[in-house]
Amino acid sequence: MSSTRTSDATATATSRLTVRELTLAYEDRTVVHELDLAVPDGQVTVIVGPNACGKSTTLRALGRLLKPRGGAVLLDGTELSKIPTRKIAQSIGLLPQTPVAPEAISVSDLVARGRQPHQHWWQQWSQEDERAVTDAMERTDVTALGDRSVDELSGGQRQRVWIAMALAQETDLLLLDEPTTYLDIAHQVEVLDLVRRLTAPAADGTRGRTVVTVLHDLNQAARYADHLVAMKAGRIVAEGHPNDIVTAGLVREVFGLDAVIVPCPVTGSPLVVPGAPWQATPEL
Amino acid sequence: MSDTTVRVRPAGYHVVRIGARGRFLLHRRATVVAAALVVSLAAVCVAYLCVGESFVAPGEVVKVILGQPSPDELVVGTLRLPRMVVGLLVGAAFGIAGALIQTVARNPLASPDIIGISQGASALTVGAMTFGVTSYTVLPYLSVIGGVAAAALVYVFAWRGGLHATRFVLIGIGFAIALRSVTTLFLTKGDYLVAQQAQIWMTGSLNGRGWSEAAPIGWTLLILLPAVLWAARAQRTVSMDDDTATALGVRLGRVRLGLVALGVVLASVATGTAGPVDFVALLAPQIARRMTRTAQIPLFCSALLGALIVVFADLLARRLFSPTELPVGVLTAAVGAPYLIWLIIRGHGGGRGRSGGTA
Repeated sequence: MSSTRTSDATATATSRLTVRELTLAYEDRTVVHELDLAVPDGQVTVIVGPNACGKSTTLRALGRLLKPRGGAVLLDGTELSKIPTRKIAQSIGLLPQTPVAPEAISVSDLVARGRQPHQHWWQQWSQEDERAVTDAMERTDVTALGDRSVDELSGGQRQRVWIAMALAQETDLLLLDEPTTYLDIAHQVEVLDLVRRLTAPAADGTRGRTVVTVLHDLNQAARYADHLVAMKAGRIVAEGHPNDIVTAGLVREVFGLDAVIVPCPVTGSPLVVPGAPWQATPEL
Repeated sequence: MSDTTVRVRPAGYHVVRIGARGRFLLHRRATVVAAALVVSLAAVCVAYLCVGESFVAPGEVVKVILGQPSPDELVVGTLRLPRMVVGLLVGAAFGIAGALIQTVARNPLASPDIIGISQGASALTVGAMTFGVTSYTVLPYLSVIGGVAAAALVYVFAWRGGLHATRFVLIGIGFAIALRSVTTLFLTKGDYLVAQQAQIWMTGSLNGRGWSEAAPIGWTLLILLPAVLWAARAQRTVSMDDDTATALGVRLGRVRLGLVALGVVLASVATGTAGPVDFVALLAPQIARRMTRTAQIPLFCSALLGALIVVFADLLARRLFSPTELPVGVLTAAVGAPYLIWLIIRGHGGGRGRSGGTA
């Protein structure tokens, strides 16, 4: 992690999930305008932008939760709307911003529900299910919570349980909508470290998972992204490796904030520091 | 992964193997509760057949059920047994219907007698009565049509690019109120005797019900059994929020429509058979869920409990103010409601928060 990451990988990466001239709208309000995007396989793609720029909306469309008004989201070259939703669920997992668990459900029961797209009416539990659930709970460190009720967990624990459920789905692509909201800084780092580890290639050389996530914190985005997508008013302003695109000019353009960019002392990734100092006593 | 690592299974479930590929998840506590309910139900049924104008010994009752000759054949086999079977079927149908509608609406207060199904059945039935249709071979079918039509209207009005749980319940309540006033209009318009007959029907009564009423609802339950088995599994998936369920590959729109349609048909048929027996569809699923502590309403236990409530309530209804027989609907509320209140106060299992559906 400490070595400087290069942007070469992005240029050569393949993409299972692509977006072509995507237009998204709620009722008569267009939120995203003719967006083109290729999600690089085996990498962490982070979408950032000011509030209401359409980043969460875009993520929802990537996970077929929102039907495009125009254009299309393509999985392996086929439009999502033409693939059975269960088939999509075997390739794309998605964790919404505020998922709701059934009342009084146990942790292990909730995580096990991530196996839904792999199960049948007559086959409600397989060896494969058991392995996937065990594995997902170990990775997220919630194994010890298995018998507890989800209702009684802390925010950080609950978020890890939900991620475990999404992991148990064992999809190649994982979409996370602001997975760090409601978490304190230690838990935020913990969750994002976990997300990064997901994309690491396995010991046998198979490619890691592909993650697309929406993050609010620009510094976290720059720290964890392989591929950063900056959006404003429903359009992509810049995309690429954070080292290449995070500049004072971009921050001003996207967020309207004057900022100084310094290298992060730990990772070397760009660190955005607001430029105008805060004043304890306003000048009268 | 090595064999020494602890394998995780959904807490509280047992994996049952059937055949080479069949693997079913069975909730342990729900299984125990179901067994206990079956035993209680059997006991209540025997009591139901023993007690009446004349007392019949349990031994004779068992003889009649097994088809052996007995002096009490007429009282037990002809008078009490058919009425009890109707009660069992109506209770089970209401139990399942309530469970399905509460699951889809994500609201423990949603049940056929609150979201307009019973009121739709009442409006059409009472309307037909005032216009001179009094035949008990026609009225049940009109109730079914009325219930299904009311539910369809609620569904259409609540649909706006998707089914929103809270909107569904609120529009249902609105329709229920509107249909109730339509019923009242028919009652005041109609003949006094017709009004009295309608009033008894509207309370829900097993009085005078026999094999000819048991057959249609029995066949309906039997034919719908595969659908009920599907629903027991499908219920799991709709108990999550919409986004999560869709991400898990569930075709929410279809599954919800299937579950609601099944619930509406069962509730309408039960209403057509015995009238709107209040509270059974509301109480049975909630009590069953608190007993089993499952994450979703247990369908089978809910059916058993519905049957238990109706048969037990009818037993009391027959005997409490003997020789006057009360309509069973009067007692289902009296028996069930205090128990539910007690359970809520004790706060066992679910019940806390997040019951109002998604925003």
